[in-house]
Amino acid sequence: MSKTKNFAVVLSAVVLVCCGALILGQKVNAAGEGKITGTVKLDGTAPHMKGIDMGKDPFCSKAHATDPGKMETYVVGSGGGLENVVLYITEGLTGPAASQTATTEPVFDQKNCMYTPHVLALDVDQKFKVTTSDQTTHNIHPLPNPMTGNIPWNQSQPPGAAPVEKSWKAPEVIPVQCNIHPWMHGWFVVVKGPYATSDSNGAYTINNVPPGSYTVTAWHEAAGTQTQKVTVAAGGSGSANFTFKAK
Amino acid sequence: MRVSSYSRLRDVSYFGSLVLFAVTVMLACSPRANALPAFARKYGLRCSACHESWPMLNYFGQKFKDNGYQLMNDRDAPIWQNPSYWPVTFRITPIWHRVSTGKVMVDTYGSNGAGGSVVTGSTLQRVSNSGFDISGLDFHTGGTLEKNISFYVLPSSNNAAQFHFETVMGRLDNLFGSSWLNVKLGKFELDNLLSEKRILTLTGNGGIYQLYHFRPQGDGNVFGQMGDNQLGLEVMGHSWNDRTRYSAALLSSVDGQVGLPYGSNAYSGFFTFSQAFDTGKAGVQRIGAYAFVGEAPTNWLTQTGPNGATVIPGAVGNKSFSREGFVGQFYFGQHVDLQVVTQHGQDSVWFGQGYGDFIDGVASGNNTTGTTLAAGAQAPSWNGVLVEPHYIYSPQLIFIGRFETIRMSQQSTPGTASNFGNISTYTIGYRYNPFMTSRAGFAWHNEYNWLHQDGTAPDGTNLNTSELLMGFDFDF
Amino acid sequence: MQRNNLRKWSSVFGAAAVVAFAMPSSAQQTKYDFETRMNIESHVGNITGHAKDAKPDYRRYCVGCHGELGDGNGENFPWVDPKPRNFQLGVFKCRSTPTGTLPTDQDLFDSIGRGFDRSNMPQWSTFTKQERTDLVAWVKHFSPRWVGEKPGTPITIPPEPEVTPERIKAGREVFARVQCWKCHGVLGQGDGPSAATLTDDLGRPIAPFNFAEGARPKCGDTDKDIYRIFMTGLDGTPMPSFADNIKPDEAWDLVFYLRTLMSQHSKEKAMAKQLGLKPVDPNAPAGQQ
Repeated sequence: MSKTKNFAVVLSAVVLVCCGALILGQKVNAAGEGKITGTVKLDGTAPHMKGIDMGKDPFCSKAHATDPGKMETYVVGSGGGLENVVLYITEGLTGPAASQTATTEPVFDQKNCMYTPHVLALDVDQKFKVTTSDQTTHNIHPLPNPMTGNIPWNQSQPPGAAPVEKSWKAPEVIPVQCNIHPWMHGWFVVVKGPYATSDSNGAYTINNVPPGSYTVTAWHEAAGTQTQKVTVAAGGSGSANFTFKAK
Repeated sequence: MRVSSYSRLRDVSYFGSLVLFAVTVMLACSPRANALPAFARKYGLRCSACHESWPMLNYFGQKFKDNGYQLMNDRDAPIWQNPSYWPVTFRITPIWHRVSTGKVMVDTYGSNGAGGSVVTGSTLQRVSNSGFDISGLDFHTGGTLEKNISFYVLPSSNNAAQFHFETVMGRLDNLFGSSWLNVKLGKFELDNLLSEKRILTLTGNGGIYQLYHFRPQGDGNVFGQMGDNQLGLEVMGHSWNDRTRYSAALLSSVDGQVGLPYGSNAYSGFFTFSQAFDTGKAGVQRIGAYAFVGEAPTNWLTQTGPNGATVIPGAVGNKSFSREGFVGQFYFGQHVDLQVVTQHGQDSVWFGQGYGDFIDGVASGNNTTGTTLAAGAQAPSWNGVLVEPHYIYSPQLIFIGRFETIRMSQQSTPGTASNFGNISTYTIGYRYNPFMTSRAGFAWHNEYNWLHQDGTAPDGTNLNTSELLMGFDFDF
Repeated sequence: MQRNNLRKWSSVFGAAAVVAFAMPSSAQQTKYDFETRMNIESHVGNITGHAKDAKPDYRRYCVGCHGELGDGNGENFPWVDPKPRNFQLGVFKCRSTPTGTLPTDQDLFDSIGRGFDRSNMPQWSTFTKQERTDLVAWVKHFSPRWVGEKPGTPITIPPEPEVTPERIKAGREVFARVQCWKCHGVLGQGDGPSAATLTDDLGRPIAPFNFAEGARPKCGDTDKDIYRIFMTGLDGTPMPSFADNIKPDEAWDLVFYLRTLMSQHSKEKAMAKQLGLKPVDPNAPAGQQ
């Protein structure tokens, strides 16, 4: 069997599973779900992000030879869109929407000695994978507060290591770091219920929101949190735009 | 040096009662030792980690001491300490006490017919004195000079700030990497499991273990005092967790008096062994035995000097003595324990007849060529037991009780009443530490002691002495 | 430069902590919470430990560092380094269980008796087994984790093979492949390129183990202990678990190689000398280091 064929098989399997999950999800959910959309912007000029000296690890510095790494605290797109903001519902969720767990399995990759994505939003108990694309050893070390029920762990991922599959038990903003590469910092933002993460333009869409009135919270690692009231009609869409000030 | 007051009660006079009082005070204030907040500061451990109640050691503290003041980790050597760390501790005790002695010979007065008074005679009566006082001051410094090389130096004063060296010793620990071999040289405390230097009581008679100082009435052997620090060399060893331990010490028979006594070649040995047992909830029980055997001089090259004068012991005339017994440390959970020491003691007949005793310069007999013993004189022997229960309410509050009794089994001089010089004593007290940290020690101390001696009053009847003491005992 | 980044990050983390605390279920522990867990038991061998029986011992021996509330905030907290363990978090370095899981009672029992070299925790070898088991239960009662969660399953350690020069060489390969030297340095002297910036889970600086200085590894110095250390990781520290990336047989090879880095005399050290083994070369291409 050729490699491409192999890939095709795997791909179709994945697609099938995904479709199945979607269909199942649809069945569980009440009909007429809406969504919440909007844009997150950063007011004023984007703060300067410092460059990162990766000189201590030849692999990392080589990977960034043409594109020097820099901090990702504020990633601002054209038009002031703020990336890496997690939007989730803090009030108003009831019934299945509040209790069901997202079935997708997002990937948190260590690539060129940075975390991709920098912020990974997750539902409680949602499985996710930590992978490495690098030819250097990382240790993946999330630092939750154990009092919340989330337990810290610390695993190594040398080059070619198999993915680590994990989930979190409780809502919490969990910093994650690589001790070997001290500039590597990311976030697992674990929330209960539907969520979205703003893209490079600052746009987001929270899907699978049943009709009702909600409080939407926008979280940014440095700029803090904001909330807004949103009403979603059956099958319709609510809108909430946020503007953060850089701190 | 520690001299028990009862042996001084024979020639009581007006002056004598003053001496009695002074001796009592001296005893109450004589150096007792080794609670070392410097160690607590060095290791960040509270007093209670090493002390059942300071200064008395618990098992963990005993192990620390046996390892040469080391926890056996990298924090032991001073090179790993903060350079400003300086291992010095002081201890002092301001007190109020009331001492009451039955049957002290005092003067009686009559009129001289001219408005004054004259001494008309003397009579026996109880004398009670009370007042405020302080103890002497102890400066402890001890610890490690390097990993596995330990030291302890203790300049100690009486309450008039006259200093002497109570302890000076260096110790090589864990020789050849073995905890079974440690060597100590200098002036140090004998390896008594129940240490008098770490006694929990402070009164004149209750602040010492009578068993560790006992001599029959009229006995001339000042040595054989297990409670006093001695000059010598000790080899000590223990299992890694201190469950099994032994020690053997070779001592100069000079009762810790410094300055080589000319011509004295008298040595003694002190040997101990103990084994501890894990008994689950009850705790770790320890039983052991000790033997103190040796010789001390009875012959002097010079005549008996006045009090304090130098007398030179001769090369011949060393006579033997022995003290041996069992020690038990029994724990009944984390609140109650019982410490027990027994003793069988025997002195050479020469000591029994008053020969020896050069140390305070009042050797009562000189065993010169041709000296003969009185007809029928025998070697005195006795048996004693010490029982000390503790109730530990918390590491900050301990209640202490003690009962000691010592019974003569053979008097030296025939015809002496068989109970002459017997001692019974009770002590009760408590120590309360209002705080417990790893920086300093402070205890409110309250204690009562009652001591009974058979036949030692000036009129040959029994003598009872009591003392009530309260005060602050603190160190830093 | 790097230092600046760190400072920046620490402020960001501070903000995160505020956010984290604003979220529900990060409960503050009180004495009342402890009371409700006072019936926690521990089992070591055939001994059953009871938390309540250990209270006087804890107060006598432990409280100065670990604190009344078991939060590691005793009076010595500011002065000792490493800091006393916070029992409320239920996170422990020395485990026989995988990273992110609770240690077994035996693990805690061993830790109390062994103490931690290069810390203020002495060897509490004077307790009876019963007292030590009671203390294990007491340690557990500070953390709610022991109510809902079971200890992890101890990792399986195959019997120790015979040391051979080949195994030592293979261990060196593992050392190079998983890049132990990043923190521990090529000579194991704790001076790897990442050593200077390491912090523990609470952001306090922490140094990687220096094999060459003659110290005892924190979680025991038998071959088995060393095997366990890198296969379970030391939770709460930067030392990760290598369980997914080192096979059991390779792990023994690595243990043997680590022995050659230690200053203590060992068979392995002698063999390495005979082999003329060179330290790994991080700059050589992969596979030839």
